[in-house]
Amino acid sequence: MTQTSPLRHSIYSRIVLLAILSAASITFALWVLADATIARSNRLAQQRAVDVDLAGLVDIYASNGLPELVERIEDRAALEPRSGGSSHYLLTGRQGRHLAGDLTRWPRLRAELSEAGDIEIAPHHSAFARATQLGPQLRLLVAHETPALDALRRQVSLVFLAGGILAVAAVALAGWLAARRLATRIERLNIAFRNPDDRALDALTRQSGHEDEIGELTRHSANALARLRRLAAAHRETSDHVAHEIRTPLMHLDNRLVKTLAASPDPEMARGIASARDEIRAIIRMLESLLDIAASEARRGDRHGLAPVDLSALVCRLGELYADSAEETGHRLVVQIAPRVIVNGEEMALTRLVTNLLDNAFKFVPPGGTITLALSPGPRLIVRDDGPGVPKGQREHIFEKFARAGHSPHGDGGGAGLGLALCRAIAQRHHLEITLVDTPRGACFAVTPETKP
Amino acid sequence: MAGLNILYVEDDARAARQVCELAAKTGDTVHWAATGSDGLKRAGVEPFDVIILDRMLPDLDGLTILARLRESGIGTPVLMLSALGRTTDRAEGLDGGADDYLAKPFEAEELLARLRALHRRASGSTHSAVILYGAFECHVKARTAFRANRHLALSPREFELFRYFMENAGEILTREMLLRDVWKMNFDPQTNVVDVNIGRLRRKLEEGFDSPALETIWGSGYRLLEGR
Repeated sequence: MTQTSPLRHSIYSRIVLLAILSAASITFALWVLADATIARSNRLAQQRAVDVDLAGLVDIYASNGLPELVERIEDRAALEPRSGGSSHYLLTGRQGRHLAGDLTRWPRLRAELSEAGDIEIAPHHSAFARATQLGPQLRLLVAHETPALDALRRQVSLVFLAGGILAVAAVALAGWLAARRLATRIERLNIAFRNPDDRALDALTRQSGHEDEIGELTRHSANALARLRRLAAAHRETSDHVAHEIRTPLMHLDNRLVKTLAASPDPEMARGIASARDEIRAIIRMLESLLDIAASEARRGDRHGLAPVDLSALVCRLGELYADSAEETGHRLVVQIAPRVIVNGEEMALTRLVTNLLDNAFKFVPPGGTITLALSPGPRLIVRDDGPGVPKGQREHIFEKFARAGHSPHGDGGGAGLGLALCRAIAQRHHLEITLVDTPRGACFAVTPETKP
Repeated sequence: MAGLNILYVEDDARAARQVCELAAKTGDTVHWAATGSDGLKRAGVEPFDVIILDRMLPDLDGLTILARLRESGIGTPVLMLSALGRTTDRAEGLDGGADDYLAKPFEAEELLARLRALHRRASGSTHSAVILYGAFECHVKARTAFRANRHLALSPREFELFRYFMENAGEILTREMLLRDVWKMNFDPQTNVVDVNIGRLRRKLEEGFDSPALETIWGSGYRLLEGR
């Protein structure tokens, strides 16, 4: 039996993988969003601080005049900020003359428009600045350095990375556990369907208590399998009883004929009784064939009870048996057997299959004809003859019950017409198929592995 | 050969009576046990040559009795009887340790013939290197056969058939037994392959001799004669 590892090829591995991917991408998206938010809100705070600073200085100039403004600017520029983001100022008078502030060069910002923007204070040192026109020749610039956010952003990234790993691990673990549980329950169903024996059905019944979808499926499956087994058992019992009930009176009848025969010395009567006994045996044979067909059909696809059979040895044995017979009847039997062709099957049934095909050939081929029995790996079994073959109209139906192939030269129609039907039933039970191959002469039966399921 | 001492475990009184009647004629002794537990008890205290076990008994299943017998070290050959004669039941019975299996209804002659073959197999006389019977000699290892010291030229398959007759010398071998033990068939082929093979063996055994070697018994059986 193929016992695949529960997570490798099943749908659960895909579901777990999908969950892990979702958890990872959601965490990543959240991190990108958080990082952007930090950068944006920081920028806004910086802009606001610059504007507030600038507005305060403008107010001072408006109410206290230029000297006070210069003094305040010097104060503020000297102030050492607690953490990063230090401020810079520049106040210029006529023709850009430096009046106050720590900056010396006016950046490319137009004061008359109150322009704002990033300016370079020192190499690799930028700041956000806003300029404004206080008087016809008086310009003021306030700049705040961009604070170093790298540390904060790195911390946030680390937090998200750790969180993401934890989330993925949690999802993977939970998913794996859930998947394994589901897989076990589904596998139990599959086991029960592959080989519905008592143990598998018991296991199904035990787990059908779950009140979920799989629990329901399990209950349905357990019921269906139990019903199937009951039906198969009932079918077997019925056919066995039918066989028994019919065979018993036939045997008694046969016994009576034997006794009558023993008591009667009349040769005419003895011939009649002998042929009556033959007919009784034919009826019993037909009955057994019908039961065998039914049994084979009922067990079609069921691998239970099949064991490795050396088909080469089996066919060889039958070849020898029929070779002697062929000599007597004036047929030529050609046997071509590849060694060590092993199949899983029931030896008796396979013997029956080959025997029926050979019986069939010997019955329909007139003396002097050739019959070929060939076996090659695959397995591929061929029984071919150069007899009259099967008439066109009958080719479709020869494998059906009570169909009679060809015209028997012996005039008895060749039994009840169950031989080939039984061949087909046995072949199908072994996942083989039997076909009548088109040949220019005679009939050619091939038994080969099933092509369609 | 002395009569067999047989234990017959069977709940069907009519079937038991029929077998007892026939056994009385052939000089065998049948001890009838009507229940499984009774049969099991008697099998434990008395030595029997063979045991006939019905598969379906009211108290114990035939397979269970068989298992208990084998567990307690009783190796007496067992023939299982069942109304269910189908291949799977047969296989189950044989897997369960039965030495032979016969479907009901059976011919009493068939049953007794099989019991003799079973007993003969179990008593070990079939494993000797040379089997002697009447004027016949069968050298199992050398795969050669003689009648009255004259070599018989048999094909491998004919030798197998001859050996089977020698192993069961003097007993009636039914067609079913031959099919099963020599050709491994549990059915009768429609063509007369068996008769042809027996016919060929008969011709080889009788060629150049005056007395017959194989006897055909009414009811589809054969018996090897002493051939003197």
